[in-house]
Amino acid sequence: MTFRQFAFNNVLRNKRTYAAYFLSSAFSVMVFFVYAVFAFHPDLAAGNLSNSVSQGLHFAESIIYVFSFFFVLYSMSAFLKTRKKEFGLLVMHGMTQLQLRTMVFLENVLIGFFSTLTGIGIGLVFAKVILLAAERLLDLDNPLPFYIPVEALLLTFAAFLILFVVISLFTVAVLRGNSLVHLIRGSQAPKTEPKASPWLSLLAAILLVGGYIAAFWVEGLVVVGAMIPVTLVVIAGTYFLFTQLSVYLIRRATRSKAFFWRKTNMLLMSDLTYRMKDNARTFFMVAILSTVAFSAIGSLVGFRAMSESTIVDESPFAFQYSYWWEDQDADRAKQDVAYIGQVLKEENVTYELYEATIRSQPVKNPNKREYVVRASEYNAIASAVGEQTLDLKGHEAAFVYYSNALYGGERTGSDTIELSGIEQPLKVTVQDFSNLLPLFTGYYVIPDPLIEQLDESKSTESVFGFYVEDWEDTVEVGRQLSEHLPNGSGDYFFNALAYDLHTFLQGYSAIMFVGLFMGAVFFVGAGSFLYFRLYTDLDDDKQKFRAIVKLGLTDKELSKVITRQLMLLFFVPIGVAIVHGAVALNSLSNLFHYPLVRETALVLGSFLLVQIVYFLFIRSRYLQQIRREVYR
Amino acid sequence: MDMLRINGLNKVYGGKVAYRALTDISFAVEKGEFVGIMGPSGSGKTTLLNLVATIDSPTTGEILIDGRNPHQLKRNDLARFRRRELGFVFQDFNLLNTLTVEENIVLPLTLDGERVKVMERKVGEIARKLGIEGILNKRTYEISGGQAQRTAIARAIIHTPKLLFADEPTGNLDSKSAKDVMETLATINQSDGTTMMLVTHDAVAASYCHRVIFIKDGRLYNEIHRGDSRQAFFQKIIDVLSLLGGHAHDLSSVRV
Repeated sequence: MTFRQFAFNNVLRNKRTYAAYFLSSAFSVMVFFVYAVFAFHPDLAAGNLSNSVSQGLHFAESIIYVFSFFFVLYSMSAFLKTRKKEFGLLVMHGMTQLQLRTMVFLENVLIGFFSTLTGIGIGLVFAKVILLAAERLLDLDNPLPFYIPVEALLLTFAAFLILFVVISLFTVAVLRGNSLVHLIRGSQAPKTEPKASPWLSLLAAILLVGGYIAAFWVEGLVVVGAMIPVTLVVIAGTYFLFTQLSVYLIRRATRSKAFFWRKTNMLLMSDLTYRMKDNARTFFMVAILSTVAFSAIGSLVGFRAMSESTIVDESPFAFQYSYWWEDQDADRAKQDVAYIGQVLKEENVTYELYEATIRSQPVKNPNKREYVVRASEYNAIASAVGEQTLDLKGHEAAFVYYSNALYGGERTGSDTIELSGIEQPLKVTVQDFSNLLPLFTGYYVIPDPLIEQLDESKSTESVFGFYVEDWEDTVEVGRQLSEHLPNGSGDYFFNALAYDLHTFLQGYSAIMFVGLFMGAVFFVGAGSFLYFRLYTDLDDDKQKFRAIVKLGLTDKELSKVITRQLMLLFFVPIGVAIVHGAVALNSLSNLFHYPLVRETALVLGSFLLVQIVYFLFIRSRYLQQIRREVYR
Repeated sequence: MDMLRINGLNKVYGGKVAYRALTDISFAVEKGEFVGIMGPSGSGKTTLLNLVATIDSPTTGEILIDGRNPHQLKRNDLARFRRRELGFVFQDFNLLNTLTVEENIVLPLTLDGERVKVMERKVGEIARKLGIEGILNKRTYEISGGQAQRTAIARAIIHTPKLLFADEPTGNLDSKSAKDVMETLATINQSDGTTMMLVTHDAVAASYCHRVIFIKDGRLYNEIHRGDSRQAFFQKIIDVLSLLGGHAHDLSSVRV
């Protein structure tokens, strides 16, 4: 048996030991590959998406790569730690350091090669499923066909080959500085009790509370400026929360006999300080990763909902046609409006037509122009869509200002307005906001008799609104009309609400897909970090429970202690991430003046649900392993 | 009255190659008796202890502890039975190194939901009796092997068990600590009348017993009773061991 054969057989005959590391490597290859299949998809690359989106796709791919790197590195060091004893044995029998490293290097390359192949293989199947799912879930017009992803295949293969070679070199660092005694004893050596500084614990509390107060307090555009410092403060606070505050609190709790000496508390809490200290960095990383995932997905979902509501709010009409004229005659407008009406009739769409004329009128003092609309036209539209009508008498006027989620809208200060042609200044009696007319700025509504007194306006816009009760069903008609009346080819502007919304959502779907995919990857990655952490503790737990079960621990108590232990491991970091995420999304909704409560609850709730399922799965497996060991 | 009665005990380990660990073992232990089990490596000592201690279940045969057969209990009831009626001392102490000495001692009581006042009183009494008051607040890695084993004994007797099982309690200790531990066990046996069963390789440790049962290849081989002199008893044990054909390394050197 040559040395190389030994290294190979060591892997091939110990499949179980290597399975966890192998699977996690294959998993990260699969994620990367599936994503690459999507990013290199010919239909997406061919210009269905804008250039920036496709750049974004490739940027995200590099983030996944970096993440994979750390994930594999972490799995590998967890894997090597569990094999300390084996290495000790080999060194004791005279294996040199160089041979040991060569062996680990060869093993890693072998595992890396096969996990890359496996990952790509599973990924191919998975890509098909995901493409199908994306088509269904996102309601795409042009389904993405499956293809043989040569580019993605080559990229994945090359990227992970490099990754595994580089990581194999890292093993040298992991193995260095371990004396033989240390190796043979493995994790047996007793650890001294972890200490926590009360001052740093206090600092953690101050940083977190301070960050949160700042996040709740700021509103509007200040959010953007406050974002980076608040994020940094909260990240620092989270770090100290796990490394100091949690240890400090648990130590305080174990000092109270009334609490610590109660039933299974002693068993549960005894390891907790040690585990907290050991797991602090993992917890910190998981919490921050999950927060990033929550915030990213929450803002994507929120931004979509917000944009959708803005589009719908701004157009009371299913179809709207506006025409500017200064000198030319209005024949074109009449033809187009007649055409729209005819098409709608052919398609059996019942509609009501409303018309409004917007004049741009000079104002005497100060010297500028303002938009003016006739009260009767305004009121007709307002009553049709169920908004408040304006009751104007004599020399009264109303100012209607514009507002949406991104733009706050302002009232103008003046109480009177002097329009040229009207002797007496008009008193502005009402100031209200409304998006009835597509002006995207403020305008005045004045009584009908006064309109006649105005100087003839040279610059006028006619707005024709087609009100349809069930506007959501008019996507197809909208498409037909939009193709016949392309914007930018004349002095008119046409929009079909249902079709425009549909187009927007289609374009956004790709971004949503990428976002959700990334979020899911981060989240699953975070879960896997916990899983590995858990398995490094498994042996200690086995030993501990074997002894205690002999003394007399019922099965119920065993499962209670383990369940609580795992619950802490799983839900403390995720709980922190959920609170962080909720605060971040709250700030986001402060920025946009748009309530994201529903979206936030949806995102955080679904993540929590997934985590609960994951927890139940891991718990049953872990319990099974402990039971098998304990009740032999 | 018998505290422990064993009738026709057999244990066969299944698997690809079935292995008969114990064959037709029967004996009884009186209340308050201190019994030693000896035998060469692989003779079935630890198997026997595990069966009697309800950690493992017999293939055939019957074990009665204070007239009850614990193997008929359900798993959870069995755990409670062990926790309330039996005490265990192991070779490698099995203390939790994340707990202090005091916390290790009260662990079985906390599981039963005992009141803190009661637990504190009991720990105080036992620590005084075993001479470990000074180390109650230390951690397990801060104390010596002998102290660790006395802590384990304290844990085993804090609930005044009917039967105390000790599996090679001196196996990991130096001779001075081993002597301390055996004297502690003997004192508890005398003052509290706790019935004890000791499995050991160590003839010195066995010489503290009232009676030593020898087993060989899973069968009862012999038993000898202690007279007045521990020294003479020790010599008798050595004689039987050499007849048993144990290997030289099974005998520890004379150190009394």
